[in-house]
Amino acid sequence: MKPSVKDRIKRQKLKIVISSAAALLLVLAALAAPLLVPNDPYRTGSDLIRKAPGGAFPFGTDNLGRCVFSRVLVGARTTIGVTFLLVALSFLIGTAAGMLCGYYGSVLDELLMRIADIMLAFPQMVVAIAVAGILGGGIAGAMAALGITMWTGFARLARSHTKSIKALPYVQAAVLGGKSGAYILAHHILPNILAPMVTYALTQIGTTMIGISGLSFLGLGVVPPQAEWGSMISEQRAYIQIAPWAVLFPALAAVLTILVFNYLGDAVMDYRALSKNR
Amino acid sequence: MQEGMQENCVLRGENIYKTYDRDSSITEALKNVSFYLQKGEILGIAGESGSGKSTLLRTVCGLEKADTGKIFAGGEELPAGDARYAGRYMQMIFQDAYASFDPGRTMRKSLTEFMAPEKSSPGGGSNERILSLLYETGLTADLLDRHPAALSGGQCQRMSIARALLTGADILLCDEITSALDVSTQARVAELLLRLKRQKGISILLVSHDLALISQLCDRVMIMKDGAVLEEGNTREVLERPRSQYTNELLAAARELELPEVK
Repeated sequence: MKPSVKDRIKRQKLKIVISSAAALLLVLAALAAPLLVPNDPYRTGSDLIRKAPGGAFPFGTDNLGRCVFSRVLVGARTTIGVTFLLVALSFLIGTAAGMLCGYYGSVLDELLMRIADIMLAFPQMVVAIAVAGILGGGIAGAMAALGITMWTGFARLARSHTKSIKALPYVQAAVLGGKSGAYILAHHILPNILAPMVTYALTQIGTTMIGISGLSFLGLGVVPPQAEWGSMISEQRAYIQIAPWAVLFPALAAVLTILVFNYLGDAVMDYRALSKNR
Repeated sequence: MQEGMQENCVLRGENIYKTYDRDSSITEALKNVSFYLQKGEILGIAGESGSGKSTLLRTVCGLEKADTGKIFAGGEELPAGDARYAGRYMQMIFQDAYASFDPGRTMRKSLTEFMAPEKSSPGGGSNERILSLLYETGLTADLLDRHPAALSGGQCQRMSIARALLTGADILLCDEITSALDVSTQARVAELLLRLKRQKGISILLVSHDLALISQLCDRVMIMKDGAVLEEGNTREVLERPRSQYTNELLAAARELELPEVK
């Protein structure tokens, strides 16, 4: 027997609770990283090189004798922090641009959407590598490189939602009621597109994390010795056969975090789809 | 227009043309449409789907921009396609009453927003005005704290009429406002329109494909087909002695549906 919609909604709710609890835990761990680290993540030591996990070093040490566990924790701060900042910036810029285009249309709409089309014509990572290459690496460069294509997704979604809400009688009634475009955007459109926009933002966290870590892995993002999962993997991959833990633990952290956020995004999206069709 | 009607006329349209350019084919939605609406009068606009009657309403209130033609209200010519401006004189009541309200807001919030600033006196005056309009439209104050989805279709439609009157506009443009309602609710909304006309002198442009409703409510009627006005005149005259073949066909179709006889 197929589960009823009510049961399915209940299950999605449970999924959201579990995944958001896990996500919260990860974020808290990242925020509290400096307090949680057992060792200085940047202290090297010739006597501690490539120590296997155990004792004072739960995840072992890397090629320079740094504590991998501490670096993974501090790296979470970098990876999660940069990802959140980038998603938030793309959300703000993309949503604002999409709402303006969708509501006012005309030349601005044509211009911005053609730019978005051009951005979408290339695979995101290819554009990112090119841009990061031109900007010469660094965390700001990596963010700009990913952000240059990322806002377009938000802009397109916000635009299409704004267009469909604009055609609804309640917005037209507000215009006839003497309300300005800015008022309608702020009071009628934004509150009604916020839920799908936030859902989309959640689904973008995982992808963005892959992007940030990917660019760092390629040496185009975070600059060593700053701890970041992608750059840690990149730094230590030459020794994968003798000290696999130095690569495996940051990789595991990245995979786990991306899974949790993707799961959360999907759960919220499914929940919204289910409750809309109820 | 006859002499003497001029000063009584609250809304007038002259030679309105409107075309849509869709998929590189041009549709003529309104062809040289002229009309007038007097104070406290209900003018019916009838015709089949696609006859341009809804487009006419939307053009009159500026939600669509006419290609050519003039619209006058309150003694001035309205800027074309400026619904914000036209809203000083007229408000539109939509077919979909539920979609006429922001789903995330309570009725109180939706209604307060429409309060004409000069009409709200300080110190709770706005609330009194809302309550008196609710009373006039046959609603109760407890509905104010509900969201649109928690109202019935009829209640929602009354709310949108109350909201329209809150702005201080005394012309209502009604676009098939009863077609989504059940028969008894339809009758009560129709009664409300008649009462608003008689007691408050509200003037109404009523678009409907329902000839029975038009015969019941309207002082005059305009029959539209393919974006043009076929005939126009006193409701009884037009519906009892139609001059155009098309009006005859509309009436015959209505009779086949066993709708009540013309008043």
